[in-house]
Amino acid sequence: MELSKEQIDDILVITLKTEILDASNAKEFRSQTVQLLENSRKVVFDMTQVKFIDSSGCGTLLSCLRQLNGYGGDLKLSGVQKPVRTLFELVRMHRIIEIYDKNDDAVCSFQ
Amino acid sequence: MSVAQDAGTNKLANILVVDDDLTMRFLLKRVLSNAGFNVFLAENGKVAIDEYLSDEIGVVLLDVQMPVMGGMECLRYICKHYPDLAPIMLTANEEVTNAVEAMRHGAFDYVIKPPEMKKLVALAQRAFQTYTQAKRLRKVEAELAGAREHEIFIASKIQRSLLLGRPPEDIEGLKISSLTIPSQKVDGDFIDFFKLNDHTVDVVVADVMGKGLLSAFFGAAMKSHFLRALHELTIDAVTCKMMNDQCVLNQDANGSFHLPQPQDIITRVQSRMIRNLEELESFVTLCYARFDMVEKTICFVDCGHVRTIHYKGESGDVELLQGINMPLGFPEKDPFIQYSASFQPGDLFFFYSDGLTENRNPDNEMYNEERLVDFIKQHGHLDPKKIIDSAYVEMIAFADSKTFDDDFTCVAIKIESEQGLAQLNTEAILEIKSDLKELVRVRIFIREFCESVPDSLLDPRRIDMLEIAVTEVATNIIRHAYSGRADEQIQIKAQMAEDKIILLFYDWGQGFDPQMVPPLKDISKMAIKDLPEGGMGCYIIAQSVDEVEYSSDKKGKNCACLKIILAPDIGD
Repeated sequence: MELSKEQIDDILVITLKTEILDASNAKEFRSQTVQLLENSRKVVFDMTQVKFIDSSGCGTLLSCLRQLNGYGGDLKLSGVQKPVRTLFELVRMHRIIEIYDKNDDAVCSFQ
Repeated sequence: MSVAQDAGTNKLANILVVDDDLTMRFLLKRVLSNAGFNVFLAENGKVAIDEYLSDEIGVVLLDVQMPVMGGMECLRYICKHYPDLAPIMLTANEEVTNAVEAMRHGAFDYVIKPPEMKKLVALAQRAFQTYTQAKRLRKVEAELAGAREHEIFIASKIQRSLLLGRPPEDIEGLKISSLTIPSQKVDGDFIDFFKLNDHTVDVVVADVMGKGLLSAFFGAAMKSHFLRALHELTIDAVTCKMMNDQCVLNQDANGSFHLPQPQDIITRVQSRMIRNLEELESFVTLCYARFDMVEKTICFVDCGHVRTIHYKGESGDVELLQGINMPLGFPEKDPFIQYSASFQPGDLFFFYSDGLTENRNPDNEMYNEERLVDFIKQHGHLDPKKIIDSAYVEMIAFADSKTFDDDFTCVAIKIESEQGLAQLNTEAILEIKSDLKELVRVRIFIREFCESVPDSLLDPRRIDMLEIAVTEVATNIIRHAYSGRADEQIQIKAQMAEDKIILLFYDWGQGFDPQMVPPLKDISKMAIKDLPEGGMGCYIIAQSVDEVEYSSDKKGKNCACLKIILAPDIGD
């Protein structure tokens, strides 16, 4: 899976360049992010391009949050599309991970 | 009878003398035996506890200063394990402070050594009387608790058999589902349905203040008053017609009878019951509503009840139905006011008791009306039974308990779609390999299949949910039924029949037992380190469709069946 990253001060913004985050690519996504997150405390996932997510996708995001939380860091999401948000609300992910409309808002929330 | 006898059993009182002074022990034995006691002797607290203390001992004489275990320690043990037994402390003159302290900790009295024997015997007799009275009181309390439990059992039976009416199933265009779960205390919630003709049904949802038998009986009486009021007011209308007088009130333009109005029914019930309600210092909150499927109106009288939620299928908005009447039983002089509102196919009315909105979580926070309104906004498009089942699950999750402090009562009434769906009957089949890369094909298949269904019956949000559900089912089959093997077969059959879509997923792997899946915990209440990475699939499937069933045949073919009821819905 293609991921792009941008460092804004001490905040790492990772853009998911995929329309799908499901059981077919969740493992791959996780193995790519494990290393990326290792040296970060403040991370934003830009989800603008993701149009579909399933429970495996949600699980992998929770796993990233746990990893960051283990170092005292935090994960925030931006650009969450409506179908993705629907599932987040169903499993109450939106109460655990802060969600912002835009990257800038998510970045500002860390500063 | 001797004063050292149990009045109930006439048995001699057993007294235990605990003293390390041998002479004192034997002196006391002689005196107390002569006074009619059965005397047991122990040389210290430990021997008393290990060898003599039992429910048979009615009095204890306890020396304060003893080796091994002293009187104070022994006293603490007795007070903890034999709460009806209050020892008399024996103390030397210089230990009086200790003895007074002992009385603070549950001793009956204290005697300074050497004791004045006459006084000591009188004191022991008094202690024994106190002991037998305490024992008797405890027995009566236990019997009373048993009687209360029995009362709750009867009240709960009354509630189940007399207070909860069954919803009619034959009113065209109306689908009704209801649920009442009595709390452990049993309150007076009742619901009933009166089918007045083929297109009209009255619904009453009420809550009698108070608990136990009284409110259960009161609810039953109230219910019969509603039936009687309906009957009497209908007879009045017929009589009026027969007399051919100028009574136009009960006839409509076509000359057929008007049904008695909800406000007249409530007025009649109030006039019949006001005195009883006042005498019993009770009152009743209720909502009495009439559904007229020809006029497409709901006409209701609300008497201080929680606000009924009207979910509008077309817009997804909700309105709260509220009246201004006081509860029944209040000395109200003003006439009862009734309101009416129109409804459309796809609308839903959710009646409930305050057991839902006043349900509390472990932090003592109430669920409240706002949360319930949000819940109905999210679930209003579903089948009424599904809504009620989901509401129950929601309440359990919120309270973190399967029992409620208050009765849990709700009624969901759905105005069904008028559109016939016979023309939509179709079927499609997709066969895939058990490879996670095939998931995208499964979603495309479902999306294309749903294209033939008008948006009005299956809106985009529900299709989104369906895509998630089919992805979860297929993933479960690949991961669990086939243990990740990518070259096995999965067949998916989509059928559209009457008012539903049925999706059948067939596999020939390991069968699946949904009972083995632990219920999903609310992750928003978990510590981040405990968040799960999996285990959400079954929950998501169950929440995304109207019904889900898993089965296996004898040849090892497994089937996961998803059903989606087609109904007007706009989601959010």
